[in-house]
Amino acid sequence: MRQRIAHVDDDPDIRDTVHHILSTHGYEVDSYQTAKDFIDSLSNPSIVPDLAILDVMVESMDAGLTTYVELHNRFPRMQAIFLTSLGDMILPYFENKSEKWIWIIEKPIEPSGLLSIVHDRLS
Amino acid sequence: MATADFSWNAPKQQFILAGGKESGQKLSDEILIDNIRWFTIFRWAVIGALILFQIVALIASDALTKLGIRNQQDWPLVLSVILSAANFAYIYALDFCQPSKFNSPSINIWVQIIVDLLCLSIVVHNVGSTTTPAPFFYILHIALACIFFSALEGLFVAIMVSAMYTIVLLIENQMFFQVSQSILIDPHFSNESLQKGRALVWMIALNTLFFIVWYVVSRLTLVVRKHEQYLRDAYEQINQAQIAKDQYAMLVTHQLKAPLDAIRSKINLIKGGYCGQVSSEIEEVLTKIDRRGHSMSNLILDVLKLERLKTAGRNNDAMEYIDISATIYKCIDKLKPVTTARNIEIKLSIQNFFARGIPDQIEILFENIIANAITYSYDDAAVDINSIVKLPDNSAILTISDHGIGIEAKDLPNIFNEYFYSPRAVMHNQSSSGIGLSLVKIAAVNNNLQLKVTSDPGLGTAFSVIFPNIRISAGES
Repeated sequence: MRQRIAHVDDDPDIRDTVHHILSTHGYEVDSYQTAKDFIDSLSNPSIVPDLAILDVMVESMDAGLTTYVELHNRFPRMQAIFLTSLGDMILPYFENKSEKWIWIIEKPIEPSGLLSIVHDRLS
Repeated sequence: MATADFSWNAPKQQFILAGGKESGQKLSDEILIDNIRWFTIFRWAVIGALILFQIVALIASDALTKLGIRNQQDWPLVLSVILSAANFAYIYALDFCQPSKFNSPSINIWVQIIVDLLCLSIVVHNVGSTTTPAPFFYILHIALACIFFSALEGLFVAIMVSAMYTIVLLIENQMFFQVSQSILIDPHFSNESLQKGRALVWMIALNTLFFIVWYVVSRLTLVVRKHEQYLRDAYEQINQAQIAKDQYAMLVTHQLKAPLDAIRSKINLIKGGYCGQVSSEIEEVLTKIDRRGHSMSNLILDVLKLERLKTAGRNNDAMEYIDISATIYKCIDKLKPVTTARNIEIKLSIQNFFARGIPDQIEILFENIIANAITYSYDDAAVDINSIVKLPDNSAILTISDHGIGIEAKDLPNIFNEYFYSPRAVMHNQSSSGIGLSLVKIAAVNNNLQLKVTSDPGLGTAFSVIFPNIRISAGES
């Protein structure tokens, strides 16, 4: 069964790029424009992903961060990665959480780097 | 070889206003507890003075009598014992008893005031209520009450002081219902009636003075508290404005960088072969586009970092002891792609130490110095990082040296200026933002660090960071 990955980003070019790279390597990718769309989709158990790739600034300054907190509470086993233009500048927001649970990839997307982290998180 | 030392003594513009929660009238428990401790220490000094007074009274009682001070008995010693016992009781109630309805800092301080005033009244009575300046010490209590409490509470203390002094005078001069008898026995001015007249003058004069002092000091305190409130509000507004400014800077950074990231992601998609084969010429063009995009991204991020560092200032609350070796390794790890691409070897020889600073700022400082050393090195060269720990004065010097293009003596004083470009540096690295060393400078200022730069054009540059007050391990000094 193909592993399912949810990707949230308001930039269609980034969504398109991530979808292209991951689907080429056999992953089932669901792209969402807003964090709310993604959270709403979680009510359907058949499409709950194995991994979520989140942008930080989507519909608001910190929508990605609040989505992460909600995911962490509702689906503790679900892996999450931040894919953001701000890089590790968002780290101070996680001062009470271990860094190893917060994977941050700074944009632009570098295919081999993205694939390596996705593979690592899913295995 | 040119050398330049950089140390920045930032003006002490950082100020912290204690107690943002209390109103202009009531002091928080935290401040009351501080005052209790301060009063207790002050009281030990008074106890010492009383004991000294007792000794002087024993040695030179005649001299004291000549000065108008009454014949001494053992009252200073008795008062010392009472005040010492009271002091222990205050500390016991504060530190070893559970706070309750009857054991609050406010009650503690009011008991202190009443006991102190009673003791002072005994002193005034014994030393001389109209012949010595002892009653003026009541004013100290009124002034302190006006400073530390509300105007109304200050008034209570003033009334209490006035009542106690009046009672002392009445008792001493037997003025309770005896005036008419005295007049009947001797209608002329006797010594006794003169004494009573003088006591009456002192009573009226000092009681008036007590209430004037209360009025003046409580007015002044109100003015000071009002200004303090203005400052607190202004400080709060500045904080909020800084948060809003920081969020805006982050938003602008994001909006500027996002399109570049999308372009560079697409370039990476093509270069990764996801859009079919491309010719080497196209790939070369894409690499050039990507390089320029990368420079612009770095510039945008550096501008944000610079703004944030300037805003952060010297925040002592955010400081902690940082593992310098771990920070250096983290920075080297981040810069690995560049060192690998240019075949630059990082040679480390570090004796680890812990220095006080703001972690992300220290990281920015090292990352920029190491990145510069790599950038301005020639390919296949080495960058040396070593540390010297000076135990006698608890300081350490961490030096990052390259063997690259170096800095000319005339440029050295300007290298920390924002957007400074040296033509030789630009020739070597066209994508310089001109901000990297400004970040280093502000991080050094914020973290109270000194920098020393030594450079030889064509041979290399050494940046030394001097850390004061270091620790060898995380827990001990």
